[in-house]
Amino acid sequence: MSEFVNTPVLDLRRPAVREQVGAALADLDRRLPIAAPVLIGDEARHGEQLTSVDPGATDRTVAVAAVASTVEVDRAVTLAAGEGGRAWGRRSAPERAAVLERAAGILQERRLELAAMAVRECAKPWREADADVCEAIDFLRYYARQAVELDRGGAVASIPGESNRMDYRPLGVVAVIAPWNFPVAILCGMTSGALAAGNCAVVKPAEQSPGCGALLVAILHEAGVPAAALALVPGAAETGAALVEHPLVDAVAFTGSLAVGAGIVERAARLAPGQDHFKRVLAELGGKNCAYVDGDADLDDAIGALMAGAFAFAGQKCSATARILVDHVRHDELAERMAGAVAALHVGQAERLETDVPPLIDRDAMERLERAGVQAEAEGTVLARAQVPGDANGWFVAPALVGGLPASSSLLSTELFGPLLTVEPVAGADDALARIDALPFGLTGGVFSRDPDTIRRFARESPVGNLYVNRGMTGAMVGRQPFGGNRLSGTGSKAGGPDYLLGFVEPRVVTERTVRHGLIV
Amino acid sequence: MQPAQPQQRTSPTDDLEVAILNRGRELVAAEPRRSAWRTIDDAVTRRVSAEPRLRSAFYRMVDVAPVCRSYRDLGAHFVAYLRRGGAGRRDAAGIAALAALGLALAVANRVAGRRFIVASSPQRALPYIEGLWRHDIGATLDLLGEAVVRAEEADSYAARCLEALEILGRAAVGRSTAADEMPAANLSVKPSALTAEIRPWAPWSATGDAAARLRAILRKAQEVDAHVHVDMESLDSRETTLELLGSVLAEDEFRAGPSIGVVLQAYLRDAADVAEVMLGYAGERDGPVSVRLVKGAYWDHETIEATEHGWESPVFGTRAETDRNFELLTRKLLDARPRIRLAIGSHNVRSIAHALAYADGSGRGRAGLEFQVLRGLGDELAFAIAACGGRARVYTPVGDLIAGMAYLVRRLLENTSNDSFLVARGRSADLESLLAPP
Repeated sequence: MSEFVNTPVLDLRRPAVREQVGAALADLDRRLPIAAPVLIGDEARHGEQLTSVDPGATDRTVAVAAVASTVEVDRAVTLAAGEGGRAWGRRSAPERAAVLERAAGILQERRLELAAMAVRECAKPWREADADVCEAIDFLRYYARQAVELDRGGAVASIPGESNRMDYRPLGVVAVIAPWNFPVAILCGMTSGALAAGNCAVVKPAEQSPGCGALLVAILHEAGVPAAALALVPGAAETGAALVEHPLVDAVAFTGSLAVGAGIVERAARLAPGQDHFKRVLAELGGKNCAYVDGDADLDDAIGALMAGAFAFAGQKCSATARILVDHVRHDELAERMAGAVAALHVGQAERLETDVPPLIDRDAMERLERAGVQAEAEGTVLARAQVPGDANGWFVAPALVGGLPASSSLLSTELFGPLLTVEPVAGADDALARIDALPFGLTGGVFSRDPDTIRRFARESPVGNLYVNRGMTGAMVGRQPFGGNRLSGTGSKAGGPDYLLGFVEPRVVTERTVRHGLIV
Repeated sequence: MQPAQPQQRTSPTDDLEVAILNRGRELVAAEPRRSAWRTIDDAVTRRVSAEPRLRSAFYRMVDVAPVCRSYRDLGAHFVAYLRRGGAGRRDAAGIAALAALGLALAVANRVAGRRFIVASSPQRALPYIEGLWRHDIGATLDLLGEAVVRAEEADSYAARCLEALEILGRAAVGRSTAADEMPAANLSVKPSALTAEIRPWAPWSATGDAAARLRAILRKAQEVDAHVHVDMESLDSRETTLELLGSVLAEDEFRAGPSIGVVLQAYLRDAADVAEVMLGYAGERDGPVSVRLVKGAYWDHETIEATEHGWESPVFGTRAETDRNFELLTRKLLDARPRIRLAIGSHNVRSIAHALAYADGSGRGRAGLEFQVLRGLGDELAFAIAACGGRARVYTPVGDLIAGMAYLVRRLLENTSNDSFLVARGRSADLESLLAPP
């Protein structure tokens, strides 16, 4: 296979490209709503128990989905665990890789359609939606190559008369429980990781984005993933719980909130009667990501990076910048300039290219951020708020910059997953590191400094899984910035990295004595 | 904008090549001797650049210097840069020596700062500009500033522009300029400083905001008879800049004035298409449009951005391609006179000689042609051009050091880049090869 290369994102500076995305959205709109059936084997059951709407125009229905019942979840898992599903794992690694590569090709051809779907279903602005699809393509291609690599086995020594081989076997059935904020990429990453390693996948897209999930699963089937090896079970919490608790599930790949993730870890640990294995959980959870701005930082650069990190996609990324810790000598200057920049943010519909901050995913999110705004006013100072479009029928919240919060404020320690950024002065790098260390999370971190010693200290002491130096804290690239958090931010797996597939396999070592009658034969 | 077009190697006539050689020789012969300061400064910079570890440490130090709180702080940064560059603990003595050198360079940095950034304000830059005028050399003022991230900063930049126009206009009262020449009061304006809302993927979203400030600047220029030259920056703001100009220049109020200029970057593969857009402006105006033709100063930025995103690079990969395109565009724009006035913005003697020779051979002579150089890099060249009967203008940045750092680092890099014409000249490569067709 050729060397892995990241898929280029669209160059939207070009007018012709902008016309293409406009046309793709118009095409999609004519097809709405998209159906998201329960897909088990060759059977598709359509339904309308669940609908997703455009978060920026809630009267527009984007997808209608069937909700998988506990019985259907059982059928899907049982089918995957049976002979039909296992046949996929017995195919050679290069064969499985070829199927994923084919899926990447189909996705590449239909990238605008999938991105348009993310724009509509999740109010993901075009640039982010396009990057989402590119990342999905990257996952397919990257894990395809990693699967072939893994197939070479582990490096173990053999001595005369003794032949050793270490290889990796698929776990069996992986339950994929995906988030809505990367409705294509993360669902695709977890699913293709599991499939690449030879497992079957039973996939539950987020209840907010069943349409994106249905399109992606259809592409994987079209590319040649057997129906028995890949099931789609749309639904909400109940469907997810049934999946996690099923005794034939071998691993759960989950990306979402800490609360749900903690529940999954707990449930997955319980042994059902007759269950003959422990379930693995690969979880990517939340964060409270801090950026430290040093006394010698270049504020011109830092401000652009901080603004994008905090407010792109309305801050609805687990990697988003939530807290700025700034050396006190630069605090006032930074806070004043950031406030002006926040006030100038353009809040609007995701489909409009000039939109900086789109609406939030749903009413719950909007209300959570509204409450946080009220709390910020009571406990600290709202330094700036942007204007919200008055006439829109969507889940809009004004992005805000908040300062003056007491150290005890929950706004400094809980993940808000929305466009609220806090700024606080610190005494220096020591103080910043201590505050970061006091958090239960360890996902992403940023440091803006021109002092190599400060940068080295952060690299050594910061507990985060992904540290970004003098650049924005979001936008990890497959193969370049393997992504995943530590502490309560996750179970330590690195999506898009060289050891991600190890989470989906179990190692086996076979030792053979090759001596007969005292001779090595 | 159309995608890249294949560039054909131009084949000027032999007569033109002979004339270019002659004009080039005259220019070099007419150059005044460089000041001792300049010679030392260049020698130090070149010496530093020859050693990769020092070079990296030096640029990082120049970059961080304005925010350092003391020389001690600055020295600490420099030592850290050197260590990062690969010096181990055992090199402590060497580091101490290098730290001393760092301090010396810090002082040199101040000097270098003044070399490229002439003064902290337009008022303070006046004596320098009036000195140029006395030698029949023009100036165009550039107001350096921090990146504009909020409306207040764009407002303050626009206010500084109005103030500068006022000062320049007053100083230029009574100075006569030829009919085919830009007014003496001359200001370069950066679109990225006129608005905090530039989004490369939505160029229209910034034009309204920037246009309001640009209109005020144009009105003031009209009032004090000044020229406004709208700079071109990276590709990220190109379409915003072109849309901004297209919309404002089409307004009745500005159809006849003030004198207006734009910038064309020859390193862009699609520069010829951009030139067409600019000719379009000229077609819709009562007066001429000035075009400053430059190679382009954002080569690294464009290349890095394209590589990072997996895009085809929008700029030529080699200097020779850019130089050839530069000459092609020079001829195209000279042929478009008098609708277009051309300002050659280059320190490449070959490029300058080519424009002179081609203009001389055209029906219009040197009417509507001038040459622009950068303060700190092309000062001697400006005198030489004036001495050879060309019109010269010095691009004169003013502002404080913090604000000017991005500019300063770009100029320093230019001064030591292996690809630089100036460096090639400094190494005294022979004149014939410097003047050979690219």
